[in-house]
Amino acid sequence: MTELLRRFARDRAALFGLCIIGPLVLAAIFAPVLAPYPNDVVDFHLERRLLPPSADTLLGTDRMGGDIFSRLLFGARTTLTLAGITVGLALLIGVPVGLIAGYYENRASEALMRVTEIFLAVPQIVLAIAIAQTLGPSLRNAILALTLTYWPFWARLVYAETRSIRNEVFIESAIALGASPWRVVVLHILPAIASPIIVRTSIGIGATILTAATLGFLGLGPPPTAPEWGRMIAESREHLPEAWWYALAPGLAIFLTVLGFNLVGDGFRDILDPRSRRGP
Amino acid sequence: MNWLSMVANRLLWVIPTLFGLLAIVFVLSRVVPVDPAHLAAGEQASAEQVQRMRERFGFNKPLPVQFASYLRDVASGNLGTSMYTQRPIVDDLASRLPATLELIFTALLLATLIGIPLGVLCGLRRHSWLDHLLRVISVSGLAVASFWLAMQLQLLFSMRLGWLPLAGRIEGFPPDTVTGFLLLDALIGGEAELFSSAAQHLALPALTLALPAAASVVRFMRNGVIGAINSPSVTYQAAMGFPPWLIVWKYVLRLALSTTVTQLGLILGFLLAGAVVVETVFDWPGLGGYAVRSILQSDYNAVMGFTLCTGALVLVINLLVDLLQMAIDPRGSA
Repeated sequence: MTELLRRFARDRAALFGLCIIGPLVLAAIFAPVLAPYPNDVVDFHLERRLLPPSADTLLGTDRMGGDIFSRLLFGARTTLTLAGITVGLALLIGVPVGLIAGYYENRASEALMRVTEIFLAVPQIVLAIAIAQTLGPSLRNAILALTLTYWPFWARLVYAETRSIRNEVFIESAIALGASPWRVVVLHILPAIASPIIVRTSIGIGATILTAATLGFLGLGPPPTAPEWGRMIAESREHLPEAWWYALAPGLAIFLTVLGFNLVGDGFRDILDPRSRRGP
Repeated sequence: MNWLSMVANRLLWVIPTLFGLLAIVFVLSRVVPVDPAHLAAGEQASAEQVQRMRERFGFNKPLPVQFASYLRDVASGNLGTSMYTQRPIVDDLASRLPATLELIFTALLLATLIGIPLGVLCGLRRHSWLDHLLRVISVSGLAVASFWLAMQLQLLFSMRLGWLPLAGRIEGFPPDTVTGFLLLDALIGGEAELFSSAAQHLALPALTLALPAAASVVRFMRNGVIGAINSPSVTYQAAMGFPPWLIVWKYVLRLALSTTVTQLGLILGFLLAGAVVVETVFDWPGLGGYAVRSILQSDYNAVMGFTLCTGALVLVINLLVDLLQMAIDPRGSA
């Protein structure tokens, strides 16, 4: 374990990723304290709308006169909650489905995998937009839409990994020793395939943040007063090219956040997945 | 399993997969809180007009009956009428498919033209400053929100510099339709002005779409080259005293390319998903923009049509990529 941590610490890119995610999580937690204008999430001040960045408003103001920096901090809460819950739920559904379908080789597991194939036959964003539009724009519905379209990805991944070790000797011997299917799956298979799941979780959070921002951009995320990065960018469109700062900050925020999770994911891959460590 | 039975087996599954896809979207479209007949009849419609719409589209019948009659129509090649454009959906899709394909193929071409040489360089000069720099760029390329990148490109190249058009596909009337690809049609018609207009309109959306794809091509190529360099056959060639450029050209490149080709399906799916967003920002008259607009306007016949079309496209692409993979590396087909 300490050896793994040491290897992770040597990976400068992964450390850089952590240096983005750590402060971001803190910023999201302490947003009400850190934000210079914590009330700008709902209040509007039309007398100072669309002001360029200055000492007063670090990143400028938006069309309602809200301080973009303050709204950005609260937006981090929305984004992290959304991505965290979505990926968590998708894992909770997808991993058991993949494990069961991978362990048993029968018609039911075949049928389960066909269902995941249906979901994966169209781009995730399309189904997510359709579901979010049907349910109506809200944070909860965005989470629901993203989860419903994301679990098949995990089911696929876990299924493939489970199948690849299903006939290994250590699994067969566990079964031969009389271990119940439950025991084999939870104590033997799951730990053996944990690495790709961990790696993919970090990258998956990044991907989910991008998809969630797209929903917000199309007006299908949390409703208007809620600070959400994608929606902020959409709002800025009618104020271009004058208000260049309006979209700049939320766009960079999305970029840095996703970059952070991707770098950490890459770092995990390098230390957990020996297959990617070929050659010198 | 030989390739023929593989194809047959896969094609056999296309129909149930598409059926399932349609069922999901159908159920979705009928649990909508808004009454589609109301939308179709317009805001000022009387109760009687709404009722007429309901009967015209069959919304008054029970769900399974509606689905069965929809499937019957689909089987005979009729996807219904769009409530928004008032045109047959088949026509809508057919007129928009070439625009999306033109965008995706151009982006794929750009991504390979940029990605393959850079990926090979990275793999050959592993741990050099170039490798590190490109690693940073390619990881970054995958983290950018495409709609934001699209807007920044619009801001710089269209609004500030005025070099390229803001949105749309062409200025004035398009050339006579032969392939539906405006660039090719303009070439065939010998219309230089239209060609340059189409190319200018295509530049920004294709670039937006190509950038993340190029980033992943760089990564696949780099890993492919590193894998190939360390393979026994290349070590053998080196030991035989072949010059390095020959080894790279004849052996390393081929091995690396074959590993990248296997990721082609993934990249194409990626481009298709990206097109949905990019087309919306650039007002590109393709399938993606159509899908978003149809969904936002609850034009569910159009959404079903789009889903069917994309689903079929993805399944066919995956099948073709698998066949290509079998041709390159027959081991996997055992």
